[in-house]
Formats: sequence, structure tokens, C-alpha cells
Amino acid sequence: MDPTEYLTMKDREMEQKLRSEAKALLEQGKVDCIIGFEDGSLKFTTTPLITGDKDDISRLVINPFIVNNLSVYLTESKGRVGIVTKGCDSRSIVSLIQDNKVAREDIVIIGVPCPGIIDLRKVEQLVGKDRDEIEGITREGDRVIITVDGNKKEFPTREVLFDNCLGCELPTPQECDILLGEPVLPASEEDKVASQEKINSLKDIAPEQRWEFWRNEFDRCLRCYACRSVCPACFCQRCFAEETEPQWLLPIPRGQDNLMFQVIRNIHVAGRCTDCGECERSCPVNIPLRSLAREMYEIVEELFHYKAGMDKEAPPLLAAYEAIDPEDFIR
Amino acid sequence: MANKKINKKDVAGILDQWKQEFTLFVPSRDEGVVKWAKWDGADTTFMDWYRNTTIPSKAVFFPPMEEMFSFQKDGEGYHIELPASGEPKQLIFGIRPCDAKALAILDMTFSDAYEDPYYLARRKSGILIGLGCTNPCDSCFCTSLGSSPTDSANVDLMLTDIGSEFLVEAISDKGEELIAKTSAAQAATEADEVRAREEVKAAYGKVTRKIDTEDIKKKLPSSFEDKDYWEKIATKCISCGICTFLCPTCYCFDINDERIKSQGQRFRSWDSCAFCLYTKMPVENPREERWRRLRQKVCHKYEFYPMSFDVIACTGCGRCVRLCPVNWDITQTLANLPAQEQIKQEK
Repeated sequence: MDPTEYLTMKDREMEQKLRSEAKALLEQGKVDCIIGFEDGSLKFTTTPLITGDKDDISRLVINPFIVNNLSVYLTESKGRVGIVTKGCDSRSIVSLIQDNKVAREDIVIIGVPCPGIIDLRKVEQLVGKDRDEIEGITREGDRVIITVDGNKKEFPTREVLFDNCLGCELPTPQECDILLGEPVLPASEEDKVASQEKINSLKDIAPEQRWEFWRNEFDRCLRCYACRSVCPACFCQRCFAEETEPQWLLPIPRGQDNLMFQVIRNIHVAGRCTDCGECERSCPVNIPLRSLAREMYEIVEELFHYKAGMDKEAPPLLAAYEAIDPEDFIR
Repeated sequence: MANKKINKKDVAGILDQWKQEFTLFVPSRDEGVVKWAKWDGADTTFMDWYRNTTIPSKAVFFPPMEEMFSFQKDGEGYHIELPASGEPKQLIFGIRPCDAKALAILDMTFSDAYEDPYYLARRKSGILIGLGCTNPCDSCFCTSLGSSPTDSANVDLMLTDIGSEFLVEAISDKGEELIAKTSAAQAATEADEVRAREEVKAAYGKVTRKIDTEDIKKKLPSSFEDKDYWEKIATKCISCGICTFLCPTCYCFDINDERIKSQGQRFRSWDSCAFCLYTKMPVENPREERWRRLRQKVCHKYEFYPMSFDVIACTGCGRCVRLCPVNWDITQTLANLPAQEQIKQEK
């Protein structure tokens, strides 16, 4: 298959614009490196491209598979950085700015108005084939055409998007220096509801059953810490999970310790988590981590009327207090 | 002994028979994750969908965590008790050649200067029923490492899919003994043998990802000093444990005690050289930077392990390629190694 076959006209235009803007940024010395995506080594995948070499710029791509939240690389980057940024990623960047982890003036945000990223696990389930057995995936607006065994099948795009993309509140970066295309509208109410299905089904069951559900899920956890490694909000130099004095929990992959690790991680990123979905996507044993993260996101919104990564001037949620706080301990 | 064959329809009955003697594992899907699970006595649908397990087969012999012993304070000392093991006779039905080869590679480490009793007990009493791949993944590269999707070298019995039946080849004495007493096995015909040979050939051609081990052998040792190269390839790595935990030949483990008052247990669990704290010592961490850790991983598999055991500690199963969240691809790292004359010395 021609690797560019799955690109729509819009993607192509954005890709061209990205390459010329990125090249100019490097040539004019406005940035020291570019963080973007290039084609991955496997079908329908992309991989981060981090480069200061303008000869690499022609490898930059925009397509429905640019899944990684590249802001995770910012805290380690040196100098000024131009970064390809989807709406959700821009919220992570803003959150990092709020936390003083990166300086706004060191980043050139190259915004991608994003109509959602294709979840290959959903595609695989829809057609009953593995990724590498699928011949083609083409997005044409709200339809996606999947080719299997020479036959083209059409599905509504919303059926193959990641859940967090389906309910996306900010598809076009708000904090942005260069915008590569026309803004994309936020998700419809109907799609927002659909994106919550998995989470709501968990809310609807009795607490004992829900406990049982999570116990089972976390029995699979291997403690590879991919959820932590891909998370832009997990920027601690030393994670509590590895502390030995005191040892908060054992590093062995045992259900109860695994669950405890994730619960503490969720509390630690409360007010920073932007619901980018990377934790769930990267989990090699398919634990629905976003359901936990999203629930915490909603608790934060309900209790503090706060959404992470929306306003770079706002004080970070858990580093600020107000005298009108109803809790006594804070006064 | 002449080869035998078994009808796919008889597989459930055969597994039932073997189950009397062994704890029997088959590929099983749990929320999309494929792993070895004890056979439930009925389901053989894995024959239709199984390509390889997500969790490598090492997990059956070297589990992600296990109790090494329990301890109890006893006067001035401790009373130690080993976990009740019995005779862990485990049968894996359908292990892929890459994973079987990986076990042979692990055997070398676990029976080297120090003999690992936990692993070796399971290995000695276990039996591997290999199943050749007819549909390898696009991330597989076993044929570049002296193996193939239908390699029978490291199993006890080898099955080759020939349509409605499996051709069965006894590789070891253990395997021969097992198939001899398997009532549903019939003698294979010449036509079955021909069909099996065709399948083997076809499967070989389906593995399209390649690495060049001769070139690697030439370039890898000198590339060690090329800091620029390793820094460049390490930029996008996020240092999670996926590629090592899900590698069928990675064997590093950590040891931890869980102690409550005067008693407790000692556990070991998988560890990973990708983690920064893996080499943390009181005053020094020789692999604090990510590029040093990645270099270690690659060199351990392709240079140091061959120095010790004369075999590359990679079987080309492709898990590290297909499960990496950032698509860090070891085959690309190996393909782009700098030639000796281009190398800048590490500062």
C-alpha cells in the first residue's frame, strides 16, 4: 500500500504547511529542534520524530494515526522547541507551563486542528482482523473506509475514534503559535455522551461489582509503568512507587499493589490530567485506565470548577488555595 | 519414528487425555490480551485466531512475580520455608518457535554458574507442544536469527497446520513418549508430509522484516563508543518496561521482602534495565542517562550474550516492535549502526 493513501486532502495540505513552517523555524534559528511525527515502522502507525536537522523535515507527517502526546518530551528538551500539537496535547503543554516545568517562550506550538485519532484496537474489533492483516484505512470526513481481503467496508468515523477523541472538548489548540488548518469544532453532545459509555457502565454497577471489576483488571498489570512514562503530567524525578524509605508499596506486580499504584498515580495527577488517553492506549495489557483518569477529571471539575490545561495564567489547582474554601484545615 | 497426525476435531479429546497428567496451558484471550491460561476443558477456538501471545511464554516458567520463600523469626535466627511446589508438570499447547527458542536461551542463564531451582524445576518437568506459524505478524523477524515460523528445534512435539489436521513430529524422547500414548493420533501419509513441507516453505516467505546479523556482529562492538548514535536513537524512548517485560528472553528480576512483624515472604519479580533505578547504587548510577540504558539493552542481546553463550538473545518475536507505545524499533537501530570508521569517541 502507498503509505500516503490514507491521507485526505486536508491532511496533505496541513502536512505541506507543517514541513515549510518547521523548516523555516529551524533555518531562522527560532527553534533548536522540532518534535513531530514521522511514519512508523509498522502499517498505520506513526512514531515521534525529534530532530534539529532540517534534512529530516520532509519526513514529518500529519495523518489520522498521529496518536502520541508529544508534550511528554518537553520537560527533557533543551533549548527552544517547535512542537506539533493536537488540541489535547496543547492542554498538556499549558498544564506544564502552569507548573513551571517548561517556559512558554521556549516553545513554538504548531497546532493541528484534530478531527480525532483512529483507535486501531477499535478498527481490529470492527473487522475481526489484526492491524497488519488490514490492507487500508482511509478517513473521508465522517466516514472511514477499511479494506480487508480486497473488500472495502465503510463505517462512521465516530465508531473508530479513541473514546477521548470522540468526546473531545478542545480539538483545536487554544494556546498556539502556528495553526496548520481551519479549526475543528468540539464534539457534539451526542458524541460526548457516547464517549462516556464505558465509564458510565462502571458507575452504574454496585460498588462490590465495581471493586471486583478493577481487581480483575489490575491482576493483569505487569508494572511496566508505561502509563507513567507516557503521561506528561507524571513528571516527578523520583516516583513514589520506587521510594524505599519509606516503601509505600511493593514493586511486585500483585493485584492489590498494582491497583494501589494506579490510585495514587491518579491522585497525583489530579488537576493536571487533561484526559489525553495516553495511559490507556499504551497499556500492553489493555487495562481501561482512562476510565479512572476521566472519573478523577470529572471530580476535579465538579469540586473545583477546574479543567487542566485551559489557561496558562491560572495557578495550578493543587498548588493554590482560596480563603473561601469550605474545608477548615486550609484556613 | 514415523510422523503422526491429529485431526483438529480431536484436539479437545487429546487435551483432555493430556490434562490427566499435566497442568495444561492453551492460548487464551482476556480483554484482548493473549496469554497462556489453564485449559478450561472445552474451548479450542484459539486454533482459529491465535497468532502469538502478548505475554511471552517465559511467564509460565519464570512468572512476573513469585514467592521464593517465607520466613519467620525463630529465636535469634529465622525459620525459612520454601513454597509448596509439588511436581509442576506443565504442558504448553501451541508454543511458537520463537518463544520455544527463547526458553532454550533462558536455560543457559538459569543453569549457568548459579542453578535457579524455581525455573529449572518447571522446565525439567514441563513439556512444549510447538505449533508452527502460518500467519506471522509484520513485526516478526525470526528468519534473520537462524530460526523460522515452523522451527521445531526447541520443542518436544511439533505441530504443523495442514488444513483440517496437524502433522505431528516427535522431536524429543519426552514428545515421542507422549504422542505414542495419545490414542487419537494416526499415522501421517506421504501426502500429509508433502502438504506440511509446502506450509513450512510458505510460512518462511511470509516473514518480511529482516536484520543482518553478520553486519551487526561487525559494527555493534565498535559502535559502543559512539555516544552521538545512541543519544540519537534514544531520544524518543520513554523508558517504560514494555520491551523488556514482554521480551521472551529478558530475565532480570528484582527481589523484595514483605515483612509484617516477625514474619514475611521474599518475592522476586521481573525488573527492567530500561528503568533508571535498575543500576542505582549508593553513590553512583552508571546508566542514569537513557541512551546508556538502551545501548545496554541492545548490546546485551546482540553482543554480550553471544560472548557468554554463543547465541543472540533475541528470537525475532517482534513483541518489542509491535507493543512499544512510541514505535521504537530495534530492527531500525540495528540496521543503522555506524560503521567503525565513522565513530566518534564517547566523551
